[in-house]
Amino acid sequence: MKIGVDIGGTFTDLVLSDNDNIRIYKLSSTPDDPSRAMLEGLRLLSDGDLSRIAQVAHGSTVATNAILERKGAKTALITTAGFRDLLLIGRQNRPDLYALHPTLPPPLIPREQSFEIEERIGADGSVITPLNIAALDALLAQLAVAGYESVAVCLLFSYAHPDHEQRIRDRAVQLGLFSMGQIALSHEILPEFREYERASTTALEGYVRPVMNRYLGALESAIPSPLLIMKSDGGVISAGEARKRAILTALSGPAAGVIGAHLIAKAAGFDNVITLDMGGTSTDVALIPGSPISRAESAIDGLPLRTRVIDIETVGAGGGSIARIDSGGALQVGPQSAGAQPGPIAYGRGGMQVTVTDANLVLGRLDADHFLGGAMRLDIDGARQALERLGMTLGISKEAAALGVIQLANTSIERAVRRVSVARGYDPRQFTLVAFGGAGGLHACEVAERLEIPRVLIPPAPGVLCAFGLLAADIRLEYRDSVLMTGEEAVTKTARAVERFIHEANIDLEREGIPPEQRHFFPLIDARYLGQAYELTIPLTNALTQTFNAAHENTYGYQLDRPVEIVNVRLEAVGSVDKPILTRAPITPNDAQNAKISAAYEREHLIPGARFSGEALIVQMDSTTVVPPEWHAEVDAYHNLILTRGKP
Amino acid sequence: MMPVDAISLGVFRALFEGTAEEMGVTLQRAAFSPNIRERLDFSCAVFDHQARMIAQAAHIPVHLGSMPASVESAIHASAPFSPGDVIVLNDPYAGGTHLPDITMVSPVFVDGEPRFFAASRAHHADVGGMSPGSLPLSTELYQEGIILPPVRLYRAGELQCDILALITANSRAPQERQGDLEAQLAAQRIGEARLKAIANAHGLERAEAHAAALMAYAQRITEAAIHAVPDGVYSFEDTLEGDGQSEQPIRIHASVSVSGNAMTIDFRQSDAQAAGNLNAVTAIARSAAWYAVRLLIGEDLPVNHGCFAPINVITRPGSILDAHYPAAVAVGNTETSQRIVDVVLGALSLALPDRIPAASQGTMNNITIGGIHNGKQFVYYETIAGGHGASADGSGLSGRHSHMTNTRNTPVEALELALPMRVTRYHLRDDSGGVGQFRGGSGIVREYEFLTNATVTINSERRIRSPYGLNGGGAGICGGNELIRGGEITPLPGKWTGTVTAGDRLRISTPGGGGWGAATSDTPD
Repeated sequence: MKIGVDIGGTFTDLVLSDNDNIRIYKLSSTPDDPSRAMLEGLRLLSDGDLSRIAQVAHGSTVATNAILERKGAKTALITTAGFRDLLLIGRQNRPDLYALHPTLPPPLIPREQSFEIEERIGADGSVITPLNIAALDALLAQLAVAGYESVAVCLLFSYAHPDHEQRIRDRAVQLGLFSMGQIALSHEILPEFREYERASTTALEGYVRPVMNRYLGALESAIPSPLLIMKSDGGVISAGEARKRAILTALSGPAAGVIGAHLIAKAAGFDNVITLDMGGTSTDVALIPGSPISRAESAIDGLPLRTRVIDIETVGAGGGSIARIDSGGALQVGPQSAGAQPGPIAYGRGGMQVTVTDANLVLGRLDADHFLGGAMRLDIDGARQALERLGMTLGISKEAAALGVIQLANTSIERAVRRVSVARGYDPRQFTLVAFGGAGGLHACEVAERLEIPRVLIPPAPGVLCAFGLLAADIRLEYRDSVLMTGEEAVTKTARAVERFIHEANIDLEREGIPPEQRHFFPLIDARYLGQAYELTIPLTNALTQTFNAAHENTYGYQLDRPVEIVNVRLEAVGSVDKPILTRAPITPNDAQNAKISAAYEREHLIPGARFSGEALIVQMDSTTVVPPEWHAEVDAYHNLILTRGKP
Repeated sequence: MMPVDAISLGVFRALFEGTAEEMGVTLQRAAFSPNIRERLDFSCAVFDHQARMIAQAAHIPVHLGSMPASVESAIHASAPFSPGDVIVLNDPYAGGTHLPDITMVSPVFVDGEPRFFAASRAHHADVGGMSPGSLPLSTELYQEGIILPPVRLYRAGELQCDILALITANSRAPQERQGDLEAQLAAQRIGEARLKAIANAHGLERAEAHAAALMAYAQRITEAAIHAVPDGVYSFEDTLEGDGQSEQPIRIHASVSVSGNAMTIDFRQSDAQAAGNLNAVTAIARSAAWYAVRLLIGEDLPVNHGCFAPINVITRPGSILDAHYPAAVAVGNTETSQRIVDVVLGALSLALPDRIPAASQGTMNNITIGGIHNGKQFVYYETIAGGHGASADGSGLSGRHSHMTNTRNTPVEALELALPMRVTRYHLRDDSGGVGQFRGGSGIVREYEFLTNATVTINSERRIRSPYGLNGGGAGICGGNELIRGGEITPLPGKWTGTVTAGDRLRISTPGGGGWGAATSDTPD
């Protein structure tokens, strides 16, 4: 038996997979100690015997929250002499162009925790100034006395010559002042040029590692079975690895949902998918052209993070997004959110501002009596009055105002879908929209209509898709090296690196218990025309220049007769895990009248083969689906809702 | 008349702004020079058929008010257009600002007529002229590089290879120029395609009605912000420290009159045009004035023609802010523009003492370097950030660009991989922010070591006259430029051009921001 556990702010979701048996369990999260709800759920699903569980796959927001709430470890930064303020200066631009008084989020590592060491490596990797060992010893002693829990080291050009960084760690360990794990070296975390981004990623690692280490350590001692942890790139690694590379999990929140949506859509026969995960504060959109795409650049709370993440566009349009009229008389929705507290007016917890959820309620798209399976009664009168007021300001009815709020939220989502599809050369008409999260089903058909997406799929349990995705995630390891060469020299260095990576990957996957036939290796290179700054990732082939020219043409619309520079060589090593088995149920054509209560259909009573037309509402425990007029609903053999537009 | 409502307005705003943003992403990703690809010294915008700006991506403020002039100039010089035309220009006296800023304008045809324009402007690191980097201590425009009046780089879809060859041949880095121009063309293609798609999907009439409505909307917001400023006439002046030919101070004077929803910013009392390179064309004065007013608008606002409409900017022909052809203008765009913001904000501080911040560093610290290394020409341009002014809301930011620019730095590792030089220090400058209840932000110290002989040009300000504090706050500490040769430190003037030899170091210390409010004994340092 394998169990996926996704811990969110409100709920902890568990999905158990045992041969073809899949069970779901949802309980309230325990934010003071997130593992409490998790262990309670695990005990329940294993009938009190944790040893029956073969594997637990876990998606955690511990690293994310430590960063957002600035509750990470007390971390020191060591840089090359002259560059102490690397993290503070950043790229020297201000975040808001037109702010009268621009401000920045507080740094993870303040200035008084940043230190310099005499040393310097040149661009070619040569030593310009040797590492000053005496000064280093004094600095390390100073840091130990000051009680630093973690040290992030980022020296200029360390990716070209790692020796100085390595010696800083060796020395700290040798002197008994710090353990290996307490020191994060930039050339290991991110062996790439551009010192600020590398330092930022390294500082983030140093900042969250002790926190993750404690959290996962406690979990490992409480759970006897192997523990896998979700990463931002949609793969999993063992808890042991995650304790060493904690930052790989920082943006893992939305990744599991993408993996889950991919598995479900594939089983249902849809390979090309756009995912739409709409929650309380935001909506995450990703494009899956056969398999999920990842990218190398991202940021968390304005801090650059250069680890691979699933290519997800996030927009500030969720159920809790606030609608307001600005001084020019235009209606705006989001990115401010009422969150879960106080939440929408409809929650009756003191929320005063109109949100997307209130608009949905006023339009009859949410059932006031059956929200969260009836656990919360929605204040429809409050929502109506507020939309009445909003409508009066705009000179329209409350219904028109509510429609406007929904339309603007959908416009934001549409823009995100456009960014992941049209802007990257994909035609959304060839994709299926998989909608999940609490509010995904409310907006999916209208978003699909705007982009002429022909089909919407709502999985059977849209609220726990992330937990499900955890069970479907493969082990994914990445090996990389900086090349920065052209021509034959580059090809030789690349080939040698790939050989070395495959050797290392085989050892690592062996340790994770992945048999050879389930290991897959994907050698990739990041390349550019010599002189450009941004790379395109292409598979390693013999026809390097042609492949790159074609990729450049495809992305930017032209190619050049210039040398192609290989910037990085990477190996993605995938250990494929056994996926949950989705079983087909027999299809019995029916008109779904059995599931109908008053105006809505109850999802749990819809059986494969059910067909009906919009306009209709489908309610279930943690989400609601709107089937607009001219749309048709059908339940497939996997209990997915398949919504299509046009003639049934 | 097409129905425009509070909701469809938001939809079209997203469409037009998305177009400008996408152009920018393409330009950045495909560009070659560090100045464009790392420092993002470019802007993209879309216009209606009357050259009124519909949307600009949040790029560089100094381009804000000067892009419309480019489109106007392209129409004036080159209409009628054919589908597939791309106009290129850089002439400051015909729609440009200074020669390194090369602008491209593409007419977008819908139903056989040019109904929109897509435009991009990028700072090209070298366009010829008397010193590498094309920001020389010049005395006339001809010394600053190749002058491009509006000409067709594409004619009806055909690349004019001879024009391209002419431009690249006039640069010290012809290959880099070609790559950057190609990248800019890629952005133009994206802009054209997106605007066409918007017109096709929503209908031309509806798209144009919404473009106009977005302008009216931005105008209403701007008017509301002006209305909130107490009526009156507010005057302020500050100086530039010399035009590179002499250290004679040059006065910039602003008289800001507010009356109801309208504002007039009168610069006519500013000094006459200078012999050197600090002159500005009127587009720069407008950009800087509009930028200062834009700061008063506390909310998210589409930046378009409507923001400009309530503000009347007056200059005096023949003055430093309205120079006569062919006056030298190389750094009017960077330095003079910063001082214009200082005086407009200074004037507004008399009306709004609790909102306006003290002066920020007030310069861009322009460094241009060029030479020959291993038989190949190299050229490089960068600007260095400094301290922000403090305000009643708190201390100023340290080591960040302010006001008319927001270009990023070139990473030290990217710089050293590309050029025969080394950065030996890059850190905040202690105690450079003005004192006060809230301190001004710190400047930066950036020091370069040259690995080969090179020509260096510095265009910097606030080396003699410090950024002002407000409400009793102290002034920011002035910047400084120093040449270190064999252990000996020689101070350099704010504007300097000269040769350096391998092993020399150049140390630039940028100004701190002004402080706000009188310091008390419990004010932390």
